[in-house]
Amino acid sequence: MRLVGIACVLGGWLLAVAGLFLSSSNTVRLVIACVGIAISLSGSLGVLNGYYLERAIWKK
Amino acid sequence: MNGRRTKLFVLLATIGIAAGLSAVCPVGVRQASAAVGLTDEDLKVSGPKTDDIAAKGDPGAEQTGTINDVAVADSKKGLTLADLANQAGQNKVAINFVWTLVAGFLVMFMQAGFALVETGLIRAKNANHTMMMNFMVYGLGLFAYWVCGFAIQMGGSAPIANLGGAYPLNHEQVVNLFGKPWGLFGTKGFFLSGATYDVGVMVLFLFQMVFMDTATTIVTGSCAERWKYSAFCASTIFLGALTYPLFGNWAWGGGWLSQLGANFGLGHGYCDFAGSGVVHAVGGLTGLAVAMQIGPRIGKYNRDGKPNVIPGHDLVFVLTGCFILAFGWFGFNPGSTLGASGNGCLRIGSIAVNTMLAGCTGSFAALLYMWIRYGKPDASMAGNGLLAGLVAITAPSGFVNSLSAAIIGWVAGILVCLGVEFFDRVARVDDPVGAISVHGLNGLWGVLSVGLFADGRSNYGGSWNGVNGNVTGLFYGDAGQLVAQLIGIATLVGVIFTLSYVFNWLVDIVVGQRVSAKVELAGLDIPEMGALCYPDFQLKASDYSTSSLSSVGVAAKQ
Repeated sequence: MRLVGIACVLGGWLLAVAGLFLSSSNTVRLVIACVGIAISLSGSLGVLNGYYLERAIWKK
Repeated sequence: MNGRRTKLFVLLATIGIAAGLSAVCPVGVRQASAAVGLTDEDLKVSGPKTDDIAAKGDPGAEQTGTINDVAVADSKKGLTLADLANQAGQNKVAINFVWTLVAGFLVMFMQAGFALVETGLIRAKNANHTMMMNFMVYGLGLFAYWVCGFAIQMGGSAPIANLGGAYPLNHEQVVNLFGKPWGLFGTKGFFLSGATYDVGVMVLFLFQMVFMDTATTIVTGSCAERWKYSAFCASTIFLGALTYPLFGNWAWGGGWLSQLGANFGLGHGYCDFAGSGVVHAVGGLTGLAVAMQIGPRIGKYNRDGKPNVIPGHDLVFVLTGCFILAFGWFGFNPGSTLGASGNGCLRIGSIAVNTMLAGCTGSFAALLYMWIRYGKPDASMAGNGLLAGLVAITAPSGFVNSLSAAIIGWVAGILVCLGVEFFDRVARVDDPVGAISVHGLNGLWGVLSVGLFADGRSNYGGSWNGVNGNVTGLFYGDAGQLVAQLIGIATLVGVIFTLSYVFNWLVDIVVGQRVSAKVELAGLDIPEMGALCYPDFQLKASDYSTSSLSSVGVAAKQ
């Protein structure tokens, strides 16, 4: 699960950077960068944090 | 007498002209304009008699700092125009050295502010541990940065005009991808050895080092009251040696983010004037990565996931620390011009006012938010609001006007309150001092705000990141700058978070990140540090009843 989270976080960044090559339009690049950031955040705050919340000390 | 005065006036005017020209004109132009009519013969005037000064003193400061004080290269020739021009150039660099060093000393003092804020916000039983983390980030971080961090970050950043060039920092490792050069890291300046034993490099090192230390001290806040000291040491060294310098290079050292403008036409590339992203977001996101891994403190959450408030032990510490930080921020932001003379550095006044305003509106907004939402003007959140405003204005401080600064600070004050609530109640990441919201969230907001509010009026020597013209955000007509800022944010949340997460995961496997439940309940001062912070005081036990503790906590308490 942690590896999936890390892949999501890095994948979001890769998408944002790839957007620079995919289009020369700043609007398209802006949208792709926002999507990339959202994917990265869902990987860190969603997947990775979810992994730790499932095993949280207060649930034991 | 009048003739001598006229000549001295001409002399002083020449110094002024030479100082200005040395900043903006190429050599050929300077040589041409030196032929204003002055010759070396015009400089054969005598300054005040030292015997007179010795006898009468100089209470009016009229005879101190005259032609007598200009350094002469060849005493046989006497004073020449070349001597005069060299003196003017050295005066410019001297002003910049002194400005940058004093600003660096102010930033160094911020460590005391961070130590007070963090220690005040945690319980007395962990005060020694928290103070010692804040104390040792200075030594550990400095050592790591001296060994390799500075070289990775700034090893390819030359020339830096304000500091006389710092020319030895002249090698950046670059890879070519898809036909574009991507600067990855610098390679000059390990151990400050070789040619980097240079006066300009030393000034730059000191200033950059204290910035790095600020980033490392953010993590100690988010992980306070349960972080194993040995794990803290390893984590801090890694942050100072690699994670921080890498992003620092990409943003400030000539790396790929700074070249987004030159390579992809995105405004002036990623712009971060004083480090909302480089310093605060890096520290805040590392704090998030570690806090997530080590989990919440015992007693922070009930079995049903409902959070408990764990109050700090000294609000006087907290608010005094905030004032120290606000004072230090006047070194942080205005000092980031790396000078006070030449290349648009006179914007230091504007930068200082922006800094002051954003901090004020940040604290005001947070105070109002808490007052309206919870019925009381919360002191710790007012302090965090001040810091949030300061963090947010750090990146845009050199590019925005005062109205924008006030708005940026105001938004930051609200954001920090929302962030604390989000991490506390939704994400359930325990952050005892609110560092993730103050530095991480508002660091990202600061980076974004450059792309929105930069007013296109600031021009530090004609170009920023190698792109001519002024830095201009979306609201003033340049959408490309906003895209560059968003790429910076994606890099922070994508790459920097991952680097910090993976390394601290390894530390967890090798050393273990978290103290045992027994140690945590007893307080970390004796088990981890061997001494109480307040040995003469009877510490009051926590109010948490056994029912609010998890089974781990109950077992440890018994």
